[in-house]
Amino acid sequence: MSKGVLLFAFNSDTVDYMAMAVATAKRANQYLNLPVTVVTDESTDMSKYDYDFDHVLYQTADKSNYTIEDNVWINKGRYNAYNLTPYDETLLIDTDYLINSDTLLKPFELYDDFMCHNRTSYLMIPDHYQELMSDHSFPTLWATVIYFKKTSKTKSIFECMQMVQENYMHYQQLYNMTVPSYRNDFALTIAVRIVHGQTDDVSVYIPWNLVHVGKNTQVYRDSDTKYTIVYDNWKNGKIRKEYNIVEGTDFHMMNKKNFMELV
Amino acid sequence: MDTKQLLTEVKARFNHNSAKAYLKDKYESKLCVADQGGLWKITPELIAAVNSFTSDSIIMLDSYSNPVKVNRTNLLVKLQKTYSDVMEQWHNEWTTLEKAR
Repeated sequence: MSKGVLLFAFNSDTVDYMAMAVATAKRANQYLNLPVTVVTDESTDMSKYDYDFDHVLYQTADKSNYTIEDNVWINKGRYNAYNLTPYDETLLIDTDYLINSDTLLKPFELYDDFMCHNRTSYLMIPDHYQELMSDHSFPTLWATVIYFKKTSKTKSIFECMQMVQENYMHYQQLYNMTVPSYRNDFALTIAVRIVHGQTDDVSVYIPWNLVHVGKNTQVYRDSDTKYTIVYDNWKNGKIRKEYNIVEGTDFHMMNKKNFMELV
Repeated sequence: MDTKQLLTEVKARFNHNSAKAYLKDKYESKLCVADQGGLWKITPELIAAVNSFTSDSIIMLDSYSNPVKVNRTNLLVKLQKTYSDVMEQWHNEWTTLEKAR
């Protein structure tokens, strides 16, 4: 059974996602010892990047989605992962996920064919709430890290994600989503629930938390796997700087600029 | 500017609650093991339960609530060893972080 990592990296005017993919791929090689395939579009000049991916696959970039800051956000088409992956067992990871350990090898030891995170925690905000798709909806599942084998169930989940993406306005209204942008997390949440008959199948969930580094948080690199996290804690109208030191733990960085400073 | 100097200049305080939460997240992932066809989230209760039986072969509910037939001794050895190793690392890292101000 072949195993590998799959990344999607479509450069936008503001973010060099391929540079992030290269950094993530190098760390996947180093800490997981897995080959990495990247999906991008023809406009990406691969000669600019100093890395040989296992495979480079080209797709047309769908530029119809925007961030809340009104920048183009090319995150659609993630459902193609099932058909595009050259591996029997795949880890589909966001390019802004900082790998610092071999923790992501664990899903390969488990016996399920599809796994994603259903719970998150934020570094520096220990009591952060779990996100819901909307105020009275389901808890969000996270597309940041997805492990899958090629099975009929997994195929159904990705086909459902495609259906949700193509009919997103309908699902936005159905679930009363307030976020205007298309999010893979929401498409995944809806798809997993549909495929499991709207039941909560715990075997789909990776049994530990996805760790986020959120806003108001700056990460400084102390060594290859050790970081100091500095957080602006607003209290009584004043900012109090707080910090923590983390080592050998993977985390998802929402601040892309800060991510590139670390790798 | 190195990180220590930066922390001094901005008068940052170490957040012990956040450190505790981070360590819990980090080491809980290491306490999940796959063995003999099941996924086991290692707790003292699970170790005690496996240890309390006497027969070689038993059926246990794994973390996904699947009944799994296991060789009791082999599972117990794996659970105990992993638990001891992970808790040792957890304790060492906590001892270091606890001193931070």
